Amino acid sequence: MIGILKSMATTMKHALDGETFTVEYPETEPEVSPRFRGVHKFSQERCIWCRQCENVCPNNTIQIVTDDQRNGEQYNLHIGQCIYCRLCEEVCPVDAILLTQNFEWTADTKDEFVLDKEQLKNVPWYKDIDPLESREPDRGAWIGEGEGELDYQ
Amino acid sequence: MSLEEPDDPLATRDVGVTEEGVDYDALADLLGDTVIDRESHVNAEGFVVRPDEVQDALFALRDEAGFDHCACVTAQDYDDRYESIYHLRKYDDPTQEVSVVVPSPKSDPVSQTAEPVYRTADWHEREAYDLVGIDYEGHPDMRRILLPETWQGHPLSQDFSGEEPQVVTLREHANPLADDKRSEDDPDTMFINIGPHHPATHGVLHVETVLDGEQIAHVEPDIGYLHRCEEQMCQQGTYRHQIMPYPDRWDYVSAGILNEWAYARAAEDLADIEVPEYAQVIRTMSAEMSRIAAHMLALGTFALDVFGDFTAVFQYAFRDREVVQDLLEDLTGQRLMFNYLRLGGVAWDLPEPREEFFEKTRDFLDDMPEKLKEYHNLVTSNEIFQMRCVDTGILPPEEAKQYGATGPVARGSGIDYDLRRDDPYGYYSELDWDVVTEDGCDNYARVLCRMQEVEQSARIIEQCVDLLEDWPEDERDIQANVPRTLRPDPDTEIYRAVEAAKGELGIYIRSDGTDKPARFKIRSPCFSNLQTLPVMSEGEFVPDMIASLGSLDIVLGEVDR
Amino acid sequence: MIPLQSNSETPFPSIIADLLGLDASEPAVLIVLSVVAAGVIATVLLTMTAVLGIWGKRKITAAFTDRIAVNRHGPYGLLIIPADAVRLLSKELIVPSEVDRPAWDLAPLIIASSALLGFAVIPFGHGLQLADPEIGLAYVFAVASIASLGLLMAGYASNNKFSFLGGLRAVAQNLAYEIPLVITGASVVIFAGSLRMSTIVEVQQQTLVSLGGIAIPSWFAFVNPFAFALFLIANLAEVGRNPFDIPEAPTEIVAGYQTEYSSVYFVLIYLGEFIHIFLGGAIIATIFLGGASGPVLPGVVWFFIKMISVYLFTQWARSAVPRVRVDQLIQIGWKGMLVLSFANLVLTAVIVGVAAA
Repeated sequence: MIGILKSMATTMKHALDGETFTVEYPETEPEVSPRFRGVHKFSQERCIWCRQCENVCPNNTIQIVTDDQRNGEQYNLHIGQCIYCRLCEEVCPVDAILLTQNFEWTADTKDEFVLDKEQLKNVPWYKDIDPLESREPDRGAWIGEGEGELDYQ
Repeated sequence: MSLEEPDDPLATRDVGVTEEGVDYDALADLLGDTVIDRESHVNAEGFVVRPDEVQDALFALRDEAGFDHCACVTAQDYDDRYESIYHLRKYDDPTQEVSVVVPSPKSDPVSQTAEPVYRTADWHEREAYDLVGIDYEGHPDMRRILLPETWQGHPLSQDFSGEEPQVVTLREHANPLADDKRSEDDPDTMFINIGPHHPATHGVLHVETVLDGEQIAHVEPDIGYLHRCEEQMCQQGTYRHQIMPYPDRWDYVSAGILNEWAYARAAEDLADIEVPEYAQVIRTMSAEMSRIAAHMLALGTFALDVFGDFTAVFQYAFRDREVVQDLLEDLTGQRLMFNYLRLGGVAWDLPEPREEFFEKTRDFLDDMPEKLKEYHNLVTSNEIFQMRCVDTGILPPEEAKQYGATGPVARGSGIDYDLRRDDPYGYYSELDWDVVTEDGCDNYARVLCRMQEVEQSARIIEQCVDLLEDWPEDERDIQANVPRTLRPDPDTEIYRAVEAAKGELGIYIRSDGTDKPARFKIRSPCFSNLQTLPVMSEGEFVPDMIASLGSLDIVLGEVDR
Repeated sequence: MIPLQSNSETPFPSIIADLLGLDASEPAVLIVLSVVAAGVIATVLLTMTAVLGIWGKRKITAAFTDRIAVNRHGPYGLLIIPADAVRLLSKELIVPSEVDRPAWDLAPLIIASSALLGFAVIPFGHGLQLADPEIGLAYVFAVASIASLGLLMAGYASNNKFSFLGGLRAVAQNLAYEIPLVITGASVVIFAGSLRMSTIVEVQQQTLVSLGGIAIPSWFAFVNPFAFALFLIANLAEVGRNPFDIPEAPTEIVAGYQTEYSSVYFVLIYLGEFIHIFLGGAIIATIFLGGASGPVLPGVVWFFIKMISVYLFTQWARSAVPRVRVDQLIQIGWKGMLVLSFANLVLTAVIVGVAAA
């Protein structure tokens, strides 16, 4: 009986203290860690089309199309199929592909999750934070870079 | 175990035990003519045994040499033969290992069953039959276990064609309403399907239950609803990078780093990679954080099963798990699918600023005793909770060993078996902590065991934080130098296990000289633990069965893989 | 001010008749007014169920579990009530094949109406009582236990094994706890010397003791706390709430007798359960907590406060007390509660006898 009363006292204490641990999303935006892995961002200015990301990807999420001179033509990424392992960012020698902290992404159909290089370029930063700065401080951040018109070779 | 006590009845069970480890020649003498060849695996010697003498060999090894734990049965298909490997070890000392390799001809892949020797071989052999296609003679119930009954072919055998259409008809499924009686002389029983869609089966588990009134006359777990070909996926990934993201998805309730470590340990030993000490400390710390998160979830869902609603305990457990998750997010960048370990180290050093991370971790550890006290007030000291859990779901230690139960399930039955201490890896052997065992053998003991393990994990994390804080700045190597493409020597075989949240998570890898494994076998602790459900619940009430299922703490992603 | 009690056999309809200037002794007028009065009481109860069952329950559970709960629909999330009503009522009514049709359809109606019927004799205070028969208390227990029939019908007719188990559990539980409930109620009758609800309330208005000038009324909860505790526990089982929510037991038998019900039928069952809790609260308020009496606030408000407190107690128990097993439940019922309630009855009889002597 004492035990039952102790249990009931414990929950009553929680009921009366008025504290909540849930938050009102989206009014209260959650703080995500700088290392958080969200939707990708791709920079064509940096990419050297070495295809390492395509090769390392565990489930063929990245598809690269080049012409016969190995010039890049397409860079497609299925963010619905991606498992967000960040291996593409890890192997990229020039930091051309980067996982932002942006976890808010919705679409009506699955097809809309296939992003081409233009869409990948325009993926917004979460709270305007470039995660590369805090992840790998010795590498240059590329926020603000490539905002202008793209130069297609 | 030593040779100094000849009068000890166990003394007859230590053939081949020496100071340095296992004397395989003595074991070979013991097995005598049944051995037709010897193989050398990285973890242990393998004895090749004729397929019709498997039981003789295994009985000898179990009863004379004391190999009482059949950790895993691996089946594979070579160009010229099929092969089953029984990975045996001892509950007293898991570093003493031996493999029994049973080849069977390609034309007629039949092999004697090991089920009379080790009950756990029941499901393991069914899986081998299902995926590879070896038929085990004398097995009591040779059916498919993971794939549907109507599946054509065996997906891990070489002649399987993935192109062929599979017909899975609905007609083949038994109509649960058609036949209520399981036997003529017992007309009062009722057959009932608990799951796969049921609030308390922790995922998609189907428990075929025969009820006599409210009591359980017979229970049989039916698994495979969440089979995702994890072994095949790992066989198609490269050692260096592509396999590591997947272990997170076996036991997906935040035990990810423990699972990753299982793969990392096997692959590092296979390719002979030395991990820097600093990385080992980080691994140890993050793995224990994962364990706390996993045990919190286990406690919450168990309380959910017993209390009966999504009420306070579940939410409190989740609230506290959230704190660990935040720490892990800071460290690894993800809340569940961490992908944090790499072969030869970890992906990242501690997040900058380090002091902030240490402070957060310390705060979490400081709050821990208070929170555990709250759980004890709320859950374990509650008389009705004790009424429900004490002396229900009894799993005697001998049965637990027969079924290959490990982790908190075994430790709740008084089996002192923890790979972190018995088969040391990482930084555990340098730290000061205890293995928790409870002698109750019931649902209550298993819950208590988990709650105390959380305390021990907190102790380990605290020591790791102290170590990391004082680590010299120029010795912070987080990764060993590992070649970009890893090609272990051909035909190297290894079975290595770590203590995951649910028990012994083992990985068997056979390399064939390429950068991808030729056979990748996962020994899932939940798979073996779930087999004990009939032992626990037959003769008890439906609510006890639900509680036992909760106390087993299975994750179907790991059971079905 | 209207007196707390009224001596008429049909107090509430008579009050309406007085207000409208009609002659309540005319049978036709009385019937019409009774229906009107019953409609008023039922509407109040259904509104209360809607507020407390849909919105209140979420808020209360959230408070116990440190969450926020509904807050997007209107002020304090109150508009969740119409939203939920529309959602539940517009869902498809799925009738599984081979259900036992008339029984399956009738069960939700029986469950919902049996609880409502009990309110016919509950004195809300100020004469707000539909009828005040001499056998008031016996009537309440009688109609409330009709619900068991509905539960059994629902379980048996659903052609579902989980429902079947739930139905059987419900009957076993109600049998085991109805008897202690009634016998504990009988001890109150011994005190009050009447089954009439208004008399029971009246008896409790006397002063038990005076502490420092504050007169403590002789509510039976104060006179005999043991009986009160027994009744409270038996009532938890009677309305099927934790730790005695065996007939539903979501983690064991899915949802018990209501597994196969959807849409309107589900609403009826849900409604029936909540009204049953309120009826339990009303009975406790009437026979143990002095009915509609209390300082400062009007009596009817006090009555609802007492009734809702019992509801809050069920929710509190739900948050912290594990569900007992079905065999333990039966054991507690027959070996514990029944014996204790008889002991209580004998004890009360002795006390009353000695006091009378």
